Amino acid sequence: MDDTIIAILRSGTPLIYVTLAGVLAQRSGIWHLGLEGLMIIGACAAVLGVVQSGSILVGLGIGIVLCVLASALLWFVIEKLRANPIIAGLGLTGLGLGGTDLAVQAIYGSQASVNAPFGLPRLGPAFGQYGVLSILVVLMPVFVIAVWVLTRRTRWGLQLAASGEHPFAARSVGVNPARMRLIALCLGGVLCALGGAELSMGSLQIFAYGMTAGRGFMAFAAVIFGGGNPLGATGAAFFFAIVGALGIRAQLLFGERVPPDFLLALPYIATVIGVWISGKLRGGAKAAASFGELKDY
Amino acid sequence: MTNGNATALACRDISVNYGVVAALADVSVDFAEGMIHAVVGQNGAGKTTFARVAAGIVHPDKGTVEIGGKPVPVGNVGRARSAGIEIVHQSFALPPSFTVAEAMEFGAEGRGALYSRRDLERRWTRHLDALGVRVKPRERIRDLPVETQQAVEIARALVTDAKVLILDEPTAVLSPSGIDNLFERLKVMQANGVTIILILHKIREVLSIADTVTVLRGGKLVEGPTLTTEIDAPRLAASIIGTTADGLSDTDRDALVGAAEEDDDGTETAAASVAAGPAILDMRGISTRPDPEGPALVDVALRVGRGEIVGIAGVEGNGQRTLVRALSHLADITAGTVELSGIEVTHQPLSDRRANGLRVIPFERNSEGLSLSSTLWENWAARSLLRDGVLRLISPAKIRKACSAALKVWDVRFSTPNQPAGSLSGGNAQKLILAREVDEDATLIIAAQPTRGLDVGATAFVWRSLREARARGCGILLISSDLDELFDISDRVVVMLGGRVNGEFSRPYHLGEVGAAMTGADR
Repeated sequence: MDDTIIAILRSGTPLIYVTLAGVLAQRSGIWHLGLEGLMIIGACAAVLGVVQSGSILVGLGIGIVLCVLASALLWFVIEKLRANPIIAGLGLTGLGLGGTDLAVQAIYGSQASVNAPFGLPRLGPAFGQYGVLSILVVLMPVFVIAVWVLTRRTRWGLQLAASGEHPFAARSVGVNPARMRLIALCLGGVLCALGGAELSMGSLQIFAYGMTAGRGFMAFAAVIFGGGNPLGATGAAFFFAIVGALGIRAQLLFGERVPPDFLLALPYIATVIGVWISGKLRGGAKAAASFGELKDY
Repeated sequence: MTNGNATALACRDISVNYGVVAALADVSVDFAEGMIHAVVGQNGAGKTTFARVAAGIVHPDKGTVEIGGKPVPVGNVGRARSAGIEIVHQSFALPPSFTVAEAMEFGAEGRGALYSRRDLERRWTRHLDALGVRVKPRERIRDLPVETQQAVEIARALVTDAKVLILDEPTAVLSPSGIDNLFERLKVMQANGVTIILILHKIREVLSIADTVTVLRGGKLVEGPTLTTEIDAPRLAASIIGTTADGLSDTDRDALVGAAEEDDDGTETAAASVAAGPAILDMRGISTRPDPEGPALVDVALRVGRGEIVGIAGVEGNGQRTLVRALSHLADITAGTVELSGIEVTHQPLSDRRANGLRVIPFERNSEGLSLSSTLWENWAARSLLRDGVLRLISPAKIRKACSAALKVWDVRFSTPNQPAGSLSGGNAQKLILAREVDEDATLIIAAQPTRGLDVGATAFVWRSLREARARGCGILLISSDLDELFDISDRVVVMLGGRVNGEFSRPYHLGEVGAAMTGADR
């Protein structure tokens, strides 16, 4: 049982950080499809930073700076060049996947992965089996609560929501929706850097090309599932992680009878079903109609 | 001119250009403190732009704004708000998913970083109570009736210590009794020292509430601020319409500017009713499933005869949209029958109904009426192309030629049939829709808000077209929130309330009676 909980926390935590980033963007009116790209930039920067400098703080710092810069770039393309946010987000995902590969190739030659000498700080043996969990797993609930309070319990959160839902209303009370979006995307960049670092340095100590494996899109699905509520989205991300952990369990039990590929695909199947259900619950067609286009003000 | 009082809001040489169009040209005006000022003008006269410049939302190309005698940087909402100016927009500006309490909070200033739901509700309940707005703080904006929504919007504008409150066409969405309530509320605020600037376009309303009136025409100041005691309706009408309205009948002219006195309504016989012939449209006991676009229809019976214009009155959101959707086979009809010229079409698709002569001028000309990115000829030909079947070969050259000819007849100003429909002005876009929908085979024309947002000339053109169609024997269902328009051109007026028919009136119309039916006050 403990094993399963640990497995869920390990696979769920990176997803949740990235989901929170998606929630912030969604509140500001942007459907963020660049999460995958930001996540892999964070994962890559953490490993490469540690390898090059020998300091975990430098690794995290570089990841955060790069993800914030990439988020600001996304904002510029969407807000100033009026690009479609969906397309721009997918572009950012391409940039992240390609750019990290290029960085690894440029520094280490044709190597498929990079190993780090050490990972994120762990809880330690004092916590028994749970000692293998990283500090970012422990901090995850703090971030969840912080994002919830910020978006649902502050005036700033209301102004952010207004910027997304009715930018003209925001502008009429002196809020600059463009600036709110920039702030939301950059905060999201920080969260994606942390999520990426947890992925590559939390339980593993390795960066491999494409290691995010669609988790950014899963996080995006969790955002849709949560309907703009950080708690709901976190719950959805957890659900996907649980299905993933059960898939691995099932692989051990029924691996011979059921193709392992199918079991590995379970979280993704759960994602599709989850998005379908949330679409049924709150009128997906309507959401899809406004999908992608940035509202004018 | 205004006398003695200090100036609450002073605008100097305000000019705003949208592209090559001058929305405002060198407008200078002073509004005295503690009064109710009206700013009037036709659509496109620059009223809304003027209000937005004063509130800091639109950055003028030229000009300065002073509030309470102190200059305020232009185009900065934050600075304008802290100087004490607030605006209530025509189409409301509150996020629909917000609760009332959240809608109050998001524009508030000062204390209150973190809150709990209960804190927030307690804080704003007091504020709403003080303003006499009866609404639960937990209700969502989207669930409120328009009149409450507007009251909430006004309460939102007063969360700060507003000295000047601008309301952009606040009466456009209200029933006559709603307008009375609004005016009562404004008078209380005036007594509390708030200077009020009302953007209006009905002379009747101006004369009943405002202390001064300012007239804009084509972006220029043509009158005022003049005390309303020193001006009368005919002069104001002339000032608003200018000389562009030659050939308008007196009743049309009064309807355009809302100058008609209620007592005169009975004597208006200019638009003599054609004797209603056999039914073109006969709806019996129609009920629909609830629709995201508005309330469901409940047991609606409606009859439109040959050569008859039937007006549908009602506060917006009382089933008018569902009615149009039901007639266009877009809403699920659960009971009742619809007959077009004696043929039952209750469950017929729209294409069959169109073949029977149904034509629709939809509510939203830019999203439902036209494909803005398609060319004029594509938009114009859509009807006949669908009628002839999708697999038939077409000749674009021929269609373009026919389209050019048709659009000239309908007086659409365009340069080539290949230009996108989105490049047309509102009036020309509406004429394009008329050119498509009002053809010789039409028997029933549904005209939903056909003149909304149009200037004098285009409005008069639409009215003339509808009357000509009536003279040819078409039945016309005119849905409008402008009672002056309905009274001017309808042979009968049917009032909708909450998805039901709540009264039917014929000439002479009485504003009070129709207004009471619109709010259910007659029950």
